[in-house]
Amino acid sequence: MGEHILSWMTFFPVIGAAVIAFIPSERKEIIKTVAAAAAAIPLVLAVQLYIGFDRGTSAFQFVEHYTWIKSFHIEYFMGVDGLSVPMMLLTALLSFICIIASWRIDKAVKGYFALFLILETGMFGVFSALDFFLFYVFWEVMLLPMYFLIGIWGGPRREYAAIKFFLYTLAGSVLMLLAMIAFYLNVSDPVTGGHTFNMLHMFNQANHSEWLQLTNVRHLIWLGLFIGFAIKVPIVPFHTWLPDAHVEAPTAVSVILAGVLLKMGTYGILRISYPMLPDAAQWFAYPMVILGAINILYGAFCAMAQTDMKKLVAYSSVSHMGYVLLGMGAMCKVGVDLQSAQAAINGAVFQMFNHGTITAMMFLGVGVIYDRAHHREINGFGGLGMQMPVYTSFFSFALFAALGLPGLSGFISEAMIFMGTFPAYRTVAMVSALGIVIGAAYVLWMLQRVFLGPKNDKYDSLPDINAREMFTLVPIGIIVLLLGVYPMPVLNLMKVSLTNLIKVVAG
Amino acid sequence: MTAADLIFYALAALTLVPALWVVGSPNIVHAGFNLLLTLLGVAGLFAWLGADFLAVAQLMVYIGGVLVLVLFTVMMTRVPQAREADSGAKRAILPGLFALGVLVVLLLVATGTHWGAPALTDAQPTTAEIGANFMTSYIFPFEYVSLVLLAALIGAAILIREPRGTEEDDEAGAAVETAEEEVQS
Amino acid sequence: MELLNLNIPSWSDLAYWRPEAILCGTFLAALLGDLIGRGRRPAISFVISVFGLITAGAYSVAAVLHGGAAHTIMGDLIIVDGMAAFFRLLFILAGLATVLFSWTAEEIMGRKRENKAEFFYLTVLMTAAMMVMAEARDLLMLFLSMEAVGLVSYVMAGYMRTSLRSTEASLKYVIFGAVSSGIMLYGLSLLYGMTGAMTFDGIRAGLLAGEVNGLSLLITVILILAGMSYKIAAVPFHFWCPDVYEGAPTPVAAIFSVGPKAAGFALMIRFFYTTLAAGADPSASAPLIELINWPLLMAVIAAVTMTYGNLVALRQLNVKRMLAYSSISHVGYLLMGFVLLTDAGLAAILFYLAVYTLMNLGAFFVVVALNNHIKSEELDDYAGIGFRAPWLGTMMVIFLASLTGVPPFAGFAGKFYVFTAVMDRQWFWLAILAALNSVVGLYYYFRVVKAMFLTRPAEGADTTPLKIHWLQYTVLAVLAVPTLVLGFWFGPLKVLADQAIGLLSTGM
Repeated sequence: MGEHILSWMTFFPVIGAAVIAFIPSERKEIIKTVAAAAAAIPLVLAVQLYIGFDRGTSAFQFVEHYTWIKSFHIEYFMGVDGLSVPMMLLTALLSFICIIASWRIDKAVKGYFALFLILETGMFGVFSALDFFLFYVFWEVMLLPMYFLIGIWGGPRREYAAIKFFLYTLAGSVLMLLAMIAFYLNVSDPVTGGHTFNMLHMFNQANHSEWLQLTNVRHLIWLGLFIGFAIKVPIVPFHTWLPDAHVEAPTAVSVILAGVLLKMGTYGILRISYPMLPDAAQWFAYPMVILGAINILYGAFCAMAQTDMKKLVAYSSVSHMGYVLLGMGAMCKVGVDLQSAQAAINGAVFQMFNHGTITAMMFLGVGVIYDRAHHREINGFGGLGMQMPVYTSFFSFALFAALGLPGLSGFISEAMIFMGTFPAYRTVAMVSALGIVIGAAYVLWMLQRVFLGPKNDKYDSLPDINAREMFTLVPIGIIVLLLGVYPMPVLNLMKVSLTNLIKVVAG
Repeated sequence: MTAADLIFYALAALTLVPALWVVGSPNIVHAGFNLLLTLLGVAGLFAWLGADFLAVAQLMVYIGGVLVLVLFTVMMTRVPQAREADSGAKRAILPGLFALGVLVVLLLVATGTHWGAPALTDAQPTTAEIGANFMTSYIFPFEYVSLVLLAALIGAAILIREPRGTEEDDEAGAAVETAEEEVQS
Repeated sequence: MELLNLNIPSWSDLAYWRPEAILCGTFLAALLGDLIGRGRRPAISFVISVFGLITAGAYSVAAVLHGGAAHTIMGDLIIVDGMAAFFRLLFILAGLATVLFSWTAEEIMGRKRENKAEFFYLTVLMTAAMMVMAEARDLLMLFLSMEAVGLVSYVMAGYMRTSLRSTEASLKYVIFGAVSSGIMLYGLSLLYGMTGAMTFDGIRAGLLAGEVNGLSLLITVILILAGMSYKIAAVPFHFWCPDVYEGAPTPVAAIFSVGPKAAGFALMIRFFYTTLAAGADPSASAPLIELINWPLLMAVIAAVTMTYGNLVALRQLNVKRMLAYSSISHVGYLLMGFVLLTDAGLAAILFYLAVYTLMNLGAFFVVVALNNHIKSEELDDYAGIGFRAPWLGTMMVIFLASLTGVPPFAGFAGKFYVFTAVMDRQWFWLAILAALNSVVGLYYYFRVVKAMFLTRPAEGADTTPLKIHWLQYTVLAVLAVPTLVLGFWFGPLKVLADQAIGLLSTGM
């Protein structure tokens, strides 16, 4: 497995899904066990990836390169660098935890776990593909499982939420498809002279055709790609699918949606748009930080107004992804010292990772209470701290991490982003910093309404968190705490690759 | 204008004027008889062009066969003779303008084109040549048409054949159909 | 006398025409079989038809494997070349799948139905006639082959003749067909008048040699396009399509939605490519195409067709009607390949047609299979049916996702190829419009998925599992597996399509 570690990680889940398809649907425990095993192996491989990854180079590692569809110059080209490894780790971890968190699914178990595993394959594929076509296929492979996971196992308005999610993301991805074809037709393979989907060739500006070097063309293609990715992030005003999808999706799907799928948007911009169109990235740097600031503030204000816990967490995701955009935009500004740019982009990617873990904890926490009380109204609870002390401490931990409490991982990434943004865009950074204050406000306000105050007698009989739920929350909690104290294990992974990215874009 | 031209225009008028009548006449029997004149005009045009075989075929097949059948059918189905069909004069304005436009365009085409088709030669009997062509260069379409005609024959048989089976079956079948109609509509 | 030196075509040519000849023979044999069975033993015709189609299919595959040298058959009015060989396979696949699937379709074989055997041998004849359409290279054969397919279609559309809808559908089909054939004939006669030639090559030579008037050529092309647009159901000659699909039995609608359309495209490719573009140096300009601004004409037709089909499909609550409008929108996507008459564009059409045949037949067949049980094609009646027949539902999802054009299904590969061909010549607005259209498509295709899987059936509704006949599952699997595999692995099909266009014979 050592040689094809990325392929094994990517395709092991789908093999598991195929196995599940042939297990009789009454054998629910066997199905769940197979699913857990199919998600556990990529997790083990992810650890191997983490250990084996050479932190000293920005080159792609664990590369697998084969011809796939020769007549269209499509290759099976996988590889990871410092940008993708943290995402691979995050995906492996959250997928496994989500399978465990889905243990209580009782309806159409077979379909649920099979679809979940296909989804996992898509996610790994996106983060490791180095051929644009391959990337696109993996990107789209996730849509169908996600549609069904929300649509069949979701809440009351699941039909609406599912198709809305699907329509939005497909609208974005057809724009990406057109941009991809434009690249394919206008980038030549330096060896053969033919068209190519190879991203490394696309990164090299010398391979671009004359037409592709026109400024207007580059800006238009940039915008096409950007909208495609922005819908996934989601960047305001393309965010309206997100609250619906989150609220209706089952807990584990929300975790994956917020923890991994949103990252794919920003990952796509960093992996594809930045190196392929660095000049357009510079051109777009200022709009990017503005959009980041809007995301931060808009998301935070909306979160403040929510009475549904899940919707609150969903809007907090919009807000937190805004920090990522802020860092990404600040990195592109020419003439800023390298340290600041490094802080900005490392912070942004680190924030992607941290938001994945923290928001996963929050959604899992909401799931725990929803399983017991069957509603998520913030104002419907009160005094749960007395009734469920262990649960309360876990959930509070997650909330503190979300508001950026020093000592927890979210603080470090947000601090890095602001450090990097201040020299580049001082005003925007200052305005955005307000988001932290509002963030603290909505988090604490929710904490107070749900866990403190007079106890609601209706919930006298609620049992505290159980061992399986603890099992899903504890590992993430440890990671959040560890990275909050000592972030270097993740920062070291990405530093060299991201410095290289700065050189490409703003150097 | 030569005598040949005069004959041509006369034949064209014989074709077109009754054709207008066919379209415009509210009386279907009148329309049928006018169609006869039109088809006769077409046969005349064939003859004028020296296509003797086609002219005769036109007479025999269209006038002798098809048209007679059409007229018989019309008379046997007892269409109310004096029924004024809604000629829709008001609704005809836009289509009329459209038709006028088409006419102008087609006239432009007719006058503006460099026609490359072979010029007419002196009229020769064509029957032998047609027959020979059917057995040589055009044998494939000739055979193919026979297949097409067979298909048409079978199709006609399917569409008009009495339903098979006993009477109870028919009633039940009709009931099923009606039920389906209701479901579908 | 000249009768003595007759130039009799060689019968040995017919060796290259075996599949078609076998199908014609199969048609006659199945017809006789029906007579022997006194019209009460449809199994005889069924078995003969299946056997004939399989034999013809085997010969067609062998012909492809033996390479694609072009052969004219009995004179030079029809030709068997790479493209004809490609379409042969397509038509035989469609014909065979339809015949096999219909054997267990209540709409054809139900106890009260008539003319069971006729359905099978008419399908065989239609398959043969469509193959001839893909082979015609002369105005006479062009018209004859179109009329042959048309005649069989009229009968099949009116097949349920005791049903008012079916009869109405058939009548509409006939009237529209007659009008559009008439218009096309007028165009063909103008073309003959301009060039004095009947063969496509001769027409091209005549057009290049003579002084061609741009307006005349444009009008001629538009008139001829009218007839062909009717066959492929492109706007504005699409009106018959939804009514006929809805009125005809679903298996008939299934083969209508792929067969005659593909045959129409084959004819269009051969006719327009040969007369307007063939031999043109790809780097230099093609004088005839520029003279009539062909790209803009086709781009507008394609854009209108796909948008119209999609927007109307959005409002349909009957699955068959929805699929009818969706097939119109797919014609729009297919026409994109025509815009430039380049090899890549035409190969993209072939590729898309192959993929479209698989997925569209599949979707229609699922409707047939469900109709066997619930006797309805209304969306509301599909509620929760995905859980009553999970495999059937899964395959429907595959077909519909493929029709939408989502990876990793074959429909995506088709769209990708067409988009690439169009964008290669910088027709961006068309590509963007088509891309947005496919997002619209998602909504109505997934309304079916939603009904089948997401909507919970009404209280008290039947929730027992459906028993689907093994033959139906087999045929559906034969369509669904390639629909999935071609999404990942479309290289071979692309090579096949490219070869077929590369071997498109333009001069003999």
